[in-house]
Amino acid sequence: MWLPIHLNENSAEPMYHQIEVQLRALIVSGQLTEGTLLPSIRELAQILKCSVITVRRVYQDLETEGLLRTRQGTGTFVASVQQEDLGRQRTASVIEAVEAAVDAGMRVQLTRREMEQIVARVIDERWKES
Amino acid sequence: MMEAVTLKGVEQHRAHFQLGPIDLNIDQGYVTAIVGPNGSGKSSTFRLLLDLAKPDAGQMSVLGYPVGQGDDREWKRQIGYLPEESDFLDDSIRGSEKAAFIRKWYSEWDVNLYQDLLRRFEVDDSIKLGKMSKGMRRKFEMALVIAQKPKLLLLDEPSSGLDPIAWRSMIDILHRYMEPGERTILMASHIIDEVRRLADYIVFMARGQILGKYEKDELFERWHILYVPAANDSDRGKLLAMPGVIEVELAGVGMYRLMTNDAPQTEEALQAAQFSIGSRQAMQLDEILQVLMQKGVYA
Repeated sequence: MWLPIHLNENSAEPMYHQIEVQLRALIVSGQLTEGTLLPSIRELAQILKCSVITVRRVYQDLETEGLLRTRQGTGTFVASVQQEDLGRQRTASVIEAVEAAVDAGMRVQLTRREMEQIVARVIDERWKES
Repeated sequence: MMEAVTLKGVEQHRAHFQLGPIDLNIDQGYVTAIVGPNGSGKSSTFRLLLDLAKPDAGQMSVLGYPVGQGDDREWKRQIGYLPEESDFLDDSIRGSEKAAFIRKWYSEWDVNLYQDLLRRFEVDDSIKLGKMSKGMRRKFEMALVIAQKPKLLLLDEPSSGLDPIAWRSMIDILHRYMEPGERTILMASHIIDEVRRLADYIVFMARGQILGKYEKDELFERWHILYVPAANDSDRGKLLAMPGVIEVELAGVGMYRLMTNDAPQTEEALQAAQFSIGSRQAMQLDEILQVLMQKGVYA
């Protein structure tokens, strides 16, 4: 099974975090539906060229969040996500992304006003596109 | 976690080579790759683990059995060993004859898996081993050790002689071998791409010494090259003193090139000191090995 997960090895983000964010997004956006069987830990490690240690960590984290469940001997599945959870999860991933963007702005010492303008501009552009 | 292999204070003294002392644990359920230049002691370590050579000091265990004591048939049946060089004593027998001999010794021998692997590798086992090309013989020997369904696979430069197509099949076959979860691979390799694709843990070795054992992803996350714009000369010392930084070089006007073995810590320190990061790049395995060798055994 192929998963649209792309890793940037030159990124400052740890590998497990890159995978976790993208896999979580695939689940909460509904692209991976309830009951979908995910690749085994070894398989996903092979596909992403990372270690099984990293994949196991991602699966365990998402299981703790209730997004995945593992059935002994059969594999790891997408769990049933409650509607209110789904809403919370949806915004959680967006909040995290915005926080990262604000951090990036602070690193290059943008003012609050500049950042707000950038955010507003990006929103305008993307809305036009879609 | 159970250990598939342990070495404690293992040494071997030879007229022109000293191995060890080696302390190393290999976890069950993972692929561990030993990486190092030729003559670093990888094959010697394998021979010691298999009791084909005796250490001058230290203790070893394989799959929980102490090496060099008592009846070794029980644990050797559970190991698949692919040596770097083929045994020339086998040259005059056919592949199928070798397989018939092997299956007598390995109770887990899986004839269907063996046939399947021969098909995938496009190997004809009716040919005499001495008449096979180097690549075909390698593929045949690989099929032979995997069909033994060993708990531990010891692979010494597994891809030597393989063409790129066969190499890809090998990577896939080894991943499938690992699928049940409790199996272990310990391999020696100097093929960077092979290690990247297969390994969970990487052990660096040079001049008979272990330079370190690392979890693969963590290694590549920590060893980075950072480009940092900095105007004046006094910044160099400041950069060199930051946590993780190994090397600082001038990379053009107003730009320093930092080598770090702890990128997250270095970046934090850079930010705290108001430096910005121009770009970053993960280091390759051979670059890391080179630095470890310069800092370690050759220092």
